[in-house]
Amino acid sequence: MDEQLQEDWLDRRLRDEMPYIDDAGFTARVVQNLPAPGRRRSFRAAILLSITVLASIVTYLASEGGRFLVVAAYRLAEMPLLFLSLVAISGTLVATAVAASAALSSVREQR
Amino acid sequence: MPLNDADLVARVLVDDDHHAFAELVRNHQSPVRGLLRQLTRNDLALADDLAQETFLRAYKNIRSFRGEAKFSTWLYRIAYNCFREEARKRKELVGIDESVLEAEQDPHTVDPALRHDLMQALQLLPLHERSAILLCCQNGLSHDEAARVLDIPLGTVKTNVLRGREKLKKTLAAWGPN
Repeated sequence: MDEQLQEDWLDRRLRDEMPYIDDAGFTARVVQNLPAPGRRRSFRAAILLSITVLASIVTYLASEGGRFLVVAAYRLAEMPLLFLSLVAISGTLVATAVAASAALSSVREQR
Repeated sequence: MPLNDADLVARVLVDDDHHAFAELVRNHQSPVRGLLRQLTRNDLALADDLAQETFLRAYKNIRSFRGEAKFSTWLYRIAYNCFREEARKRKELVGIDESVLEAEQDPHTVDPALRHDLMQALQLLPLHERSAILLCCQNGLSHDEAARVLDIPLGTVKTNVLRGREKLKKTLAAWGPN
């Protein structure tokens, strides 16, 4: 019992000895020393853009000037209208369900 | 509505948002600076320099924060690493042996008039016990979180807390509850 009392007392004293330290310009000094915003992002954007352009060129050359796109468009045009409508509606429903579940989980996390 | 740590981290990641990072610093500066003050034996200037370095490293390495632990636990780990590096640098400069820094100080070499003070008693503990006590008893981290911060096994943290607590109780016996 005494042991427990002493432990509680010690924990309480330790927590009491941890007062809130006033910011007093500390945050401002840290922010002042941060690297300029945007540099990291623009570097990343440049890499992504270069990779995208390179991948597009490779795809264009490898597919005989994008012939597969023309073939795919012809195939789609030949499909029945009902089938195309069903595919479009199902796609919209799936996208809505995914967005709604993401929004719900975000709200739950914020609570 | 104030944003939580996860939202603020996300803003820093996506937009490089300095305002969001400033909010994170404001929310965590007090416990981080408090921990470093205790670790540096109340050297306020050094503690603040290390705290600044902690937050700068956190910003640069924010991509490595996976959200598995709490953001504060991740920060404590960076702060503790900054402190360890600084302690190592200072030892190299003045040529102190590792064992001297780690070893427990002799309580009789400290002014007896100050010994009743809890902070003085804490300073008497060796670094590994002091760090464990500060994280677990003062900052409220679980043993598991403290093990991650200090990068030592869970069992060692428990032992260090137990031993540190025993020593504190002994040193402060006269001031305990009667």
